[in-house]
Amino acid sequence: MAEPAYTVASDGETTGEEKSSSSFPEIAIGVDIGTSQCSVAVWNGSQVELLKNTRNQKLMRSYVTFKDEIPSGGVSNQLSHEHELFSGAAIFNMKRLVGRVDTDPVVHASKNLPFLVQTLDIGVRPFIAALVNNVWRSTTPEEVLAIFLVELRVMAEVQLKRPIRNVVLSIPVSFSRFQLTRIQRACAMAGLHVLRLMPEPTAVALLYAQQQQQMIHDNMGSGSEKIALIFNMGAGYCDLAVTATAGGVAQIKALAGSATGGEDLLQNMMRHLLPDSENLFLGHGINEIKLMGLLRVATQDAIHKLSSQDNVQIDVDLGNGSRICKVVNREEFEEVNRNIFEKCESLIIQCLHDAKVEVDDLTDVIVVGGCSYIPKIRDLVKHVCKIEVYKGMNPLEAAVCGAALEGAVASGISDPFGSLDLLTIQATPLGIGIRANGNRFVPIIPRNTTMPARKELIFTTVNDNQTEVLIVVYEGETEKAEENHLLGYFKIMGIPPVPKGVPEINVCMDIDASNVLRVLAGVILPGSQQPAVPVMEVRMPTVDDGHGWCAEALHRSYGSTLDLVTVQKKI
Amino acid sequence: MRCGCGLAAIPGTDARFFVPDTSFIRLRRPVDPTRVQFGSLKIKARINEARKEVSFYELLGIPETGTLPEIKQAYKQLARKYHPDVSPPDRVEEYTQRFIRVQEAYETLSDPRRRASYDRDLALGIHLAFSARRRYQYDEELEERSEWKNRWQSQLSELKRRSMNRDARGNMSWGARMRRQRDESSREQ
Repeated sequence: MAEPAYTVASDGETTGEEKSSSSFPEIAIGVDIGTSQCSVAVWNGSQVELLKNTRNQKLMRSYVTFKDEIPSGGVSNQLSHEHELFSGAAIFNMKRLVGRVDTDPVVHASKNLPFLVQTLDIGVRPFIAALVNNVWRSTTPEEVLAIFLVELRVMAEVQLKRPIRNVVLSIPVSFSRFQLTRIQRACAMAGLHVLRLMPEPTAVALLYAQQQQQMIHDNMGSGSEKIALIFNMGAGYCDLAVTATAGGVAQIKALAGSATGGEDLLQNMMRHLLPDSENLFLGHGINEIKLMGLLRVATQDAIHKLSSQDNVQIDVDLGNGSRICKVVNREEFEEVNRNIFEKCESLIIQCLHDAKVEVDDLTDVIVVGGCSYIPKIRDLVKHVCKIEVYKGMNPLEAAVCGAALEGAVASGISDPFGSLDLLTIQATPLGIGIRANGNRFVPIIPRNTTMPARKELIFTTVNDNQTEVLIVVYEGETEKAEENHLLGYFKIMGIPPVPKGVPEINVCMDIDASNVLRVLAGVILPGSQQPAVPVMEVRMPTVDDGHGWCAEALHRSYGSTLDLVTVQKKI
Repeated sequence: MRCGCGLAAIPGTDARFFVPDTSFIRLRRPVDPTRVQFGSLKIKARINEARKEVSFYELLGIPETGTLPEIKQAYKQLARKYHPDVSPPDRVEEYTQRFIRVQEAYETLSDPRRRASYDRDLALGIHLAFSARRRYQYDEELEERSEWKNRWQSQLSELKRRSMNRDARGNMSWGARMRRQRDESSREQ
């Protein structure tokens, strides 16, 4: 074996920023690690090409099995039988768990997966373990993702016959910056440098922009601006974007997303077929895991079949004396998952609203992701947008192709035929701001702000002679501060003792093209132009694990003693 | 004092990180015209200075009569030039600042309400470019949700404009002039 052996670094270390300083334009590969499937694509000099594994697959299952001492993932591993995935030794759905604390409903919904997800419900990271020789062996979502990334990397290096260092990864819109750091950690563990993390529908938007350019080249399209809605729903997430495309530029007007996906459809169906399934699985014994696995395979299979046929016969022997034998029709499936489909609809409406786009303005509506095969999903998108679904894209390959295009563009590669004269102008998927005005979240960079961005807001003290203020940075949309994602916190100290409301505390937020967020905070007293204390510059996020716990502790310890309020507009 | 400071590239800075100078704090001064602390001479100086600054139209390279499609097209062309993803690696920081300015010009001119208000200011020579509007960004976001606030805002900016004009003409009460002179001299010491 000539290929180099890569190992995954320990998860205990902080992310090493060892950047290669070589100016050689090395093309970054595009990677899509989906909740259920993953793929790699690269710009081959003339077009985007999906790489295949040794079994000639372009799309590989996203899982890692822990057998013996060496874990192996779905890229290299060949399952002898589908049920092997449900022996307790295979860990999957990590994209749903990465960077989440154990109070998160998504983590709770993962407790009936056929491996161990344990929660203490105090805002710390959940305990995740695989069953290996009757021992629960602990692991982390980052470690599982890293094992996976290493396999993808080896696969790409063997085929491209060069070392791979830079990647563009597609990520869900709803990921917080804390979750992004977990993805970066996983990449660092796998020896990869993240060039860009791209919200999935924006990768699709870039591919769309390229296709539109191509049509102009072929004299088939007009050069006018095209507005498209992109609806991307996979196993784990539902992500949307509205893009305005012209001249190869994809301008993201709005993003929307939620941790709602095929996994939720599956769980609702499992509950429908076996109503007390959740209680049954609580013990996580070997028999229960097997039962869970059997039910999962049968249900998944049924859902797939319901995309092409009106009804399906489910017949599964759960091995504990109970047997599910039932005919399920499409209406039943749609009724059981009504809340999911309603959620999808509301996301479309929200995204169009945020983009200030009317349905009549839409040129195209693009539906991609594994769930795009479900008739109800296509129907509801068509129903809201009132136009036929765009046909020019492979629903399972669009995101990874877009990521590969971005990889080539951001690596500085140019194409003689102009196929890479492309650009995505990204927008912030979530608002970023600080806690002020009591326990309120005050956004400084609102959601859907074009990046790179730099915005500021002025605050002041709430107490007389308040010499310190606590800047607590959150990301999200909820008005109550602690319901948002905590990104970090720091204090400004040494403010001269003056009456409340006098110091002007300027909080400035800056996001650069690589999506690095910095918070700058300074204090100015009236009659002075110089800051009263040195300006603080803090790179976010600063929090590590257990951030739910941390916000609560801050609140308990300091109350409102170090609070801020926004400066009211004086008339 | 240049009112676009903080957006101009700072020579000798690391390509990735902005040196934490206090330029973003200095922006504060011209930000709030309701609390003008400058004497009338300074206001005039500022207005003269503003004339030298490029307007949003000049920045986008379109005439003041430019249509929305023209604005959009100009924006996309400039984005292709200045967006840090496509800019030369050694000029990322500079181009990022430029892109942010282009973005602000585009956002202002592509919104009929904001364009109208900008045109009004421009005609009066009050060029509250870039950062000047920044402080109100958040408020503006909120306003978009309620129409009544829009009307209130336009009335407010009209008031502001008038008071600014008055100030510029030196048409202030004796007390106001004295307070301003005192503020100014205390700052200059």
